Amino acid sequence: MIGALVFVAWTRFLRTPRAWLAALAWWAIALAVAVLSHREGTLHGADRSLLGTYGGLALPLLSYSIAGGVWGVGGVARSIAPVVALGAPPAWAAAATIAVCGAACAIQGALLGATVAVIAHGLSDPPRIHDGLVTAYVGGLGGLAYAGWFSLGASFGRRGGGRTAALVINWALGPWAESTAVVTPLGHVQNMLGGVPPLGISERASAIALLAMAGVFGWAAAMRARSAPRSIGDRRRSVI
Amino acid sequence: MIALEGVSARRAPFALARVDLTWGPGVHSIVGGPDDGGRQLLALVAGDEPPRRGRVRALDGDPRDDRVRRRIARVDLEPPLPEALRVDEMLRVSAAIRGEPARPATERLGTLGLEALALRRISSLSRAEARGVALTEALTSTRSRVLLLVEPLVAVDGRAVARLPEAIRAKRTDGSVVLVATSSVRDATELAQDHLFLHRGSVVARADSLEQLAIAALCQKDLVVVVDNVASARSWVTSFSRLALADRVEQEGRVVRVRGRDALALARAAALAAGQAGVNPIELRWDAPSLAEALGASRAISADENQREIAARRTADANAHGGSSPGGGL
Repeated sequence: MIGALVFVAWTRFLRTPRAWLAALAWWAIALAVAVLSHREGTLHGADRSLLGTYGGLALPLLSYSIAGGVWGVGGVARSIAPVVALGAPPAWAAAATIAVCGAACAIQGALLGATVAVIAHGLSDPPRIHDGLVTAYVGGLGGLAYAGWFSLGASFGRRGGGRTAALVINWALGPWAESTAVVTPLGHVQNMLGGVPPLGISERASAIALLAMAGVFGWAAAMRARSAPRSIGDRRRSVI
Repeated sequence: MIALEGVSARRAPFALARVDLTWGPGVHSIVGGPDDGGRQLLALVAGDEPPRRGRVRALDGDPRDDRVRRRIARVDLEPPLPEALRVDEMLRVSAAIRGEPARPATERLGTLGLEALALRRISSLSRAEARGVALTEALTSTRSRVLLLVEPLVAVDGRAVARLPEAIRAKRTDGSVVLVATSSVRDATELAQDHLFLHRGSVVARADSLEQLAIAALCQKDLVVVVDNVASARSWVTSFSRLALADRVEQEGRVVRVRGRDALALARAAALAAGQAGVNPIELRWDAPSLAEALGASRAISADENQREIAARRTADANAHGGSSPGGGL
């Protein structure tokens, strides 16, 4: 059954061109900035591109677009309703979708990060290959955490509007406020890319925090799916 | 197979209060309008809605239990389907979720004559086609033992409508229990073997057949007579009118509809009128009463049953008090 649930979520993602086009746009913007940075001959070209455009803008928005494609426009309740109506446990259906979202965000985040690091490489940056691999690691972890973050967001709101709220909260509490950044994926991704550490924590602690976020937020989204209306036409609950 | 024990549920504008109902294998209808609670009753049985009080049992288990839910198929007016998938992929996924062996999609869709939809994306289907696919999934599943169908003959692909009654009735033979929520008395009588009448969330009555309503003579019957041409219809109406048995006679082209209280007398008069007018009717059938008429009749049946029950209780009480004067204790 798990295979069938993963198939449904994966197919929805693959057959949603809107999500792919949005993801491509963020790829294009991140790569364009990386190319410009390299052409300018900046000494720390990779650092600037990764901390500024990639970590702060492209990775969150790329993950946001992918989560939108995986969950669809209706959020968690609406996207799992078809398989739940066939008898699939809601938490399993949500978990399978979160797994697909996590895999897609992690792979794309890692690939984009590595590509930006390699292209924007400056003279004072660490060796190109090493920098690319480390950025892929950070991008993968970041993508995974964002998948959980946006999945939890998509479980709020009648049409999954909480996903957009999660994006805004990520930026609002992110690197601009050192103490609150500790609860957002953005704060930890920036720390691992060489930015300001939230509450002065180490990069290793941020890596663990990103993994924990992926798990905790994903688990919370799956648990919220258990109490979601089981039929999309039945929004009102019985009065207890 | 399905039991509601002291179930109370509330959802504006309807409320069920301490309802005890049971359904065994077969096809059963729940007759009532959209706001009378038929759909909500099915949602309770499907485990999609929690009861406020009481217990709902399906297939000897809690319908909210995942093992039970996989054996329940519910097809609402707008069934949720995975829009990104093709129809054949959806049927494969449903088989995997329900835990049954996958069969070729065309074979399953062929049950309702919808083979042509196999390779279509679900997002491209019309509402009627999507309902046809959802009904196919429910009716051809080998694991589903409880089928909850809302208005199965309404807003369904034209190719499927003709085959649906037979396919639904066929589920009787494999031990499944099929609940049909409908506001059409005609659909209910065509599909189901017994009927539960709901009005604003209250169970008004249960009837084993339409005949039970008609024989009680509490509901007027419509006899429809179809003859081969308009002139014959006029002749038949003239002869029939002389017998003065019907409360109402309506002619529209070759079709004549007569209404009366005594079904048997109406049928005899129709045959007599045909003989006198020298007309050979092509079709002679009873029309199902409208929902309002059926509800009125079923309420009257309930009232009649209550009266009889009260009278029986009074007689029993009188007998128990032994030799009290007639009417004593009243």
